[in-house]
Amino acid sequence: MEHQCHWTEVENIFLPREATIVRVEQPTATEKHFTLKMKDGRPMEFEPGQIVELGLFGYGEIPLGFASSPTRTESFDIVVRSVGRVSKAVNRLAAGDTVHVRGPLGHGFDLAQLRGHDVLIVAGGIGLCPTRSLIQYILDRRDEFERFVLFYGTREPCLQLFHSDLACWREAEDVEYFETVDVADPTWTGNVGVITTLFPKVELTPETRAVICGPPIFYRFVVRELDQIGIPRENIFVDLERRMKCGVGKCGHCQINDKYVCVDGPVFSFADVQDLEEAF
Amino acid sequence: MAESFIRNEDFAVFVGALIEALPVYAPVAKRSRFVFERLEAPEELRLDYDVTILPPKKLFFPPAQDLIRFDEAGARAALEPTEKVLFGVHFYDVKAIDQTDLLFSERNFDVNYMAHRQTTTIVASNIQTVSQRAFFASVGTGVQPTGHDAFLTAVAGGYVFETRTERGEALLKFGAFQPATDAQIEEAARVNATALEQCAEKLEQGTEAIATKVRDAFGDDELWSDLATDCFSCGSCNTVCPTCYCFDVQDTWNVDQTSGQRTRYWDACLTEDFAKVSLGEGATENFRETRGARFRHRIMRKAVYLNPKLGGPACVGCGRCSAACTADIADPVRVINRILAS
Repeated sequence: MEHQCHWTEVENIFLPREATIVRVEQPTATEKHFTLKMKDGRPMEFEPGQIVELGLFGYGEIPLGFASSPTRTESFDIVVRSVGRVSKAVNRLAAGDTVHVRGPLGHGFDLAQLRGHDVLIVAGGIGLCPTRSLIQYILDRRDEFERFVLFYGTREPCLQLFHSDLACWREAEDVEYFETVDVADPTWTGNVGVITTLFPKVELTPETRAVICGPPIFYRFVVRELDQIGIPRENIFVDLERRMKCGVGKCGHCQINDKYVCVDGPVFSFADVQDLEEAF
Repeated sequence: MAESFIRNEDFAVFVGALIEALPVYAPVAKRSRFVFERLEAPEELRLDYDVTILPPKKLFFPPAQDLIRFDEAGARAALEPTEKVLFGVHFYDVKAIDQTDLLFSERNFDVNYMAHRQTTTIVASNIQTVSQRAFFASVGTGVQPTGHDAFLTAVAGGYVFETRTERGEALLKFGAFQPATDAQIEEAARVNATALEQCAEKLEQGTEAIATKVRDAFGDDELWSDLATDCFSCGSCNTVCPTCYCFDVQDTWNVDQTSGQRTRYWDACLTEDFAKVSLGEGATENFRETRGARFRHRIMRKAVYLNPKLGGPACVGCGRCSAACTADIADPVRVINRILAS
């Protein structure tokens, strides 16, 4: 084979960049919301929906969706749920600590397909994190989009993320925000029921572009609702989660049939993945 | 480039001179089987080997390879590639190296593989003994090996040495080579053709028919579940495969507890937790939960998924998986021929 370049001139795709934690919030018992700033002064340039590998030396790396919009260039946000060795170690960190990041990785939301259209975002649980990047983007560039409807569902009220955002969206005029919980607690006065119970609350047109991100079980039921509205499958975009190690299309863990979620996704048009048996 | 000839009595001197000049990795005996190892002396070289336990990819993609090293000052690359010769590679393994070359260099160029690859001169050699489980003659016949720098074929009285690149040419100075005669070149071609006639196992149809029929069988859950009934999910078929390149990445600390490394290790898609994620609070989701789904994934990877990229199947017919499988269910020939017959 032809070897175009010599190895010493090539960037090592596994070499991370340093970032400083500038702010930490704890929205739920198991999740922390970090704001990071690149140490080298070169901002992280990404698209909503793309992935970053968050690393802590001695522990490893975890793939996360950017949880803030690239329109806000000073810093970027991520949310980490304590589930494994790396995430638990990361969630013990505080403002001022250093982490190592690689990214942006993968293929985010195709904004050109969303611009000029009504947009519906349906987020479930921690699925609000990668979609928050798009939500902020739309709100920051509101003129580029038509109607904007946002559904957010969690199992219980105590699992809601981004409390100040939610408070803001509930009052906002530029987003039609609806929320639900599967199981209420005494403080909850809103809608109770699974995410699909929000659909009767709003009239949507078949021209709407829909974005879905949630737990694996979520997609089938939400797509059924979108089918009823008459939204074509190619205008439905899903943001998928998989086990992922390298983030650069090599290690094989995130494959869905012949697709690598880390480079072909994590955002796919539903039409492209609906027939892949391992997708949902 | 050109064909040269070296006499049997000069061959050991040539190999000895190579060993003096550079690290040489070549097939050597290990009890009753063979492995690619650093050659210490010419007499260790066993060009009559049938197949090695592990494929030569381990030179570029070692079972454990540090990707970065870190300490309090930060991280740096862990690459220290050195010039070396990989000697005596059968053509099916060269085809596999061609594939991993492409897969590690496309889209995101992986210097951790490519640096080792680019510092290696590959000398292929003819197959003197055909392994019992090999089927290289009937798989991906439209794809020829291209990654070797020279090709060595045993003929009467010595070896024909075909150089294909400058790296290959550069080896000529180490031995008493003379131009090969037309008769020797013809004999070498005959010798290589003969090896192809000796495979005991054979795929019944060509690459495209196989790809279509195997893909069509995707939804036949009963078939896959039946094929994988005896699967131990051990991943041996992956471990010995020359075209498998999946890996896991783990960090480890050094004893000082401040420095350490991020290392990739061979991984195997047949193992139970390969596609398993944690959802938190003890809940998990396994995207290939059943043995059948994992078994199917491997066969799809070998016969279907990568074909457009590679121009042929991601299987080279070495038969290592067939021999390594404890339950003897991994053999691609049996699996694919069964699907073709159904």
